[in-house]
Amino acid sequence: MIRITRRRMLKSAAALGAPLAFPYLNLAHAQGAPIPIGVGVPLTGNAGAYGPDMAEAAKRTAAKINAAGGVLGRKLELFIEDSESSAAVAANLTQKFINVHKAQSCVGYWGTPEGMSSRPIAVQNKVVLMVSSAANAITEGDTQGYVWRFQMKATDWGIVISRAAIKLGFKTVGVLGLQNAFVLPIMKVFEEKMKEAGRQVVDSLIYNPEQPSYRAEVERIFGKKPEAVYCFGLLPDFVSIIKEVYRGGFESKVVALSIMADAEGKFVQAVGNQVAEGIRHFQPMPDVAAPGYKKFVQLMGAPADRVFLFPPNTHDQIAITALAMERAKSPMAADWSKQIITVGNGPGQEVDDVVDALKLVREGKPINFQGAGSTCDFTQNGDQLGRGMGHWIIKSGKSVFVEYQKP
Amino acid sequence: MISFLVLLGIVVCFSAILALALNFQWGLGGMVNFGLAGFYTLGAYTCALLILKGGANTLVATLGAMAIVAAACALTALVTLRVTEEDYFAIVTLGVGEMLRLVALNEDWLTKGALGLSGIPRPLDHLIPHDVYVYFLLGLSLALLLGTLWVLNVLARSPFGRIVRALREDDVVAATLGKNVLWARVRVFAIGGAFIGLAGALHAFYYQYIDPTQFTNIVIAYAFMAVIAGGRGAHAGAIWGAAVVMVLLEGSRFLKDVIPWLDSDRLAAIRIIIIGVGLILLLVFRPQGFLREHRLQVDLVTATMRNR
Repeated sequence: MIRITRRRMLKSAAALGAPLAFPYLNLAHAQGAPIPIGVGVPLTGNAGAYGPDMAEAAKRTAAKINAAGGVLGRKLELFIEDSESSAAVAANLTQKFINVHKAQSCVGYWGTPEGMSSRPIAVQNKVVLMVSSAANAITEGDTQGYVWRFQMKATDWGIVISRAAIKLGFKTVGVLGLQNAFVLPIMKVFEEKMKEAGRQVVDSLIYNPEQPSYRAEVERIFGKKPEAVYCFGLLPDFVSIIKEVYRGGFESKVVALSIMADAEGKFVQAVGNQVAEGIRHFQPMPDVAAPGYKKFVQLMGAPADRVFLFPPNTHDQIAITALAMERAKSPMAADWSKQIITVGNGPGQEVDDVVDALKLVREGKPINFQGAGSTCDFTQNGDQLGRGMGHWIIKSGKSVFVEYQKP
Repeated sequence: MISFLVLLGIVVCFSAILALALNFQWGLGGMVNFGLAGFYTLGAYTCALLILKGGANTLVATLGAMAIVAAACALTALVTLRVTEEDYFAIVTLGVGEMLRLVALNEDWLTKGALGLSGIPRPLDHLIPHDVYVYFLLGLSLALLLGTLWVLNVLARSPFGRIVRALREDDVVAATLGKNVLWARVRVFAIGGAFIGLAGALHAFYYQYIDPTQFTNIVIAYAFMAVIAGGRGAHAGAIWGAAVVMVLLEGSRFLKDVIPWLDSDRLAAIRIIIIGVGLILLLVFRPQGFLREHRLQVDLVTATMRNR
């Protein structure tokens, strides 16, 4: 048996660590060196379904920019990491982006916990953090202009969904919500707006994730026989809930979010066509008629009718980073973060292609960038404007598009 | 790179304190703590809430977190009056831990629920300049880790430590010899709890943002992995174990920067496999862990001498 002494352990630790550390020992910001960008997306964990396409979008966008000469004459270099859908992991990898790769822009960040845990790190290090998460808290308070949301904020989801509910003529509704940071504001606004419109919210409750059964919750809400039950949560809990509903023979209509009732087709796969029939679902989505979105679908090499929910945001995050850097003539976030609104909101020439936009910026012309996921307009505090919500209904196992609505 | 290693060092420190606490409760005392994640949550939230809502300073908040978790653990251990079997006790701790996590998730008025608590200040952060602060935090964490190791070593080698080990081996024998089994169990679990509280407080200081998703049961798995890898009962071993687990977890991210064909999608899928295989290899080739429990080390030395 080999005796492991402290000294031998130290030696082997150093031997293991040295080759890993080697590539980073000489990472100075030399002129012409690539500009690093950190991309933190969920490749595993409960949001693992969404990360791979976001990573692909980031790669293709950066490749497109690099093929056209890069930014400030330098190439963009992406560091893509798996956030494991976890707040603590996201915080660790944000530290890695900033301290190891010297990134001045960290993009991706699908979930609210990932965004919330990375926010203080970004602000303290004066690095821009661009998230796809919805909870209002992400941009609340003093972010010093370093935190930008590429998503509709949660309270706006509630506004659009309640407006559609009123239009659908539901007089009584029940609400089932997952205990989750982005769900709670949606629920609150939804219920307020329904009551304002004179509709009755018969009951609402918040349930915990990863419960073995949701029978008690389903019986309480559906047992009151509202015309429709609105469910806000994630895919795994919704699959259990909807099976209980079917088993119980309840007749209320079911309305949910697309990350639950579609999830890239995983929902129908899990429950079957018959159970899924007639379920409506909503989700913030790009304006699929916008030329920027069409170009993005081409860039991804996908069929023209494919609806990408999150990857267009990742595209826009990389594009806005590139444009703001070029406008500020500096790769440092402290300089270019101030140019995000200038290139996103305008005023200036409307342009939907990042390469064309970069050319105009280099010529010193003012632009108003129109992204793939939205029109890339922001409030001073980093919230995104101009993103709308899609509304679908499941018929024979297929999600049929109903309408597109802005808040 | 250096500052990333420093930050990783801080993570290793509080993971190691957690592993030490578990090693004291389970490795030495034989009390399986499957509620570790819940007690860890309690420590982090108590510390954060004492600062954010109670207006306490970081020192008071840390001591408060240690005291509260110790009290919670003592109460849990009192249940052992009736459930002396190791597995029943494990189930009780699992239940208590789950309750604590659910309170953190659902009591919005206190813990802000799923949104979590943000803006947690760090010890002396207004006095120390930002660019050297991480080095201070590493130093502080290291000092606390060594302090924990020292306290637990002293306890383990004291008469109390001998009672604790006797309880682990056979509590009936200990009771027959006139030892107060319940009281000793309560003390072991409470002392371990105090250090779980300390680890929780350091977690809160390091991340400055805590939410329930950070305290899932994987925390328990990592802590048990650290203790088993380090050698059950060996305090210094638990530190090595925690360091190896954390270096495997975080260090494996760098593989894709050195191995060209490994992209991030592939790495995400095989990283957990790599970690699993690493631990299996460790258990195959060194099932007793890196180090031996203090008293047993003497036997090992004499055995080697006899072989010569």
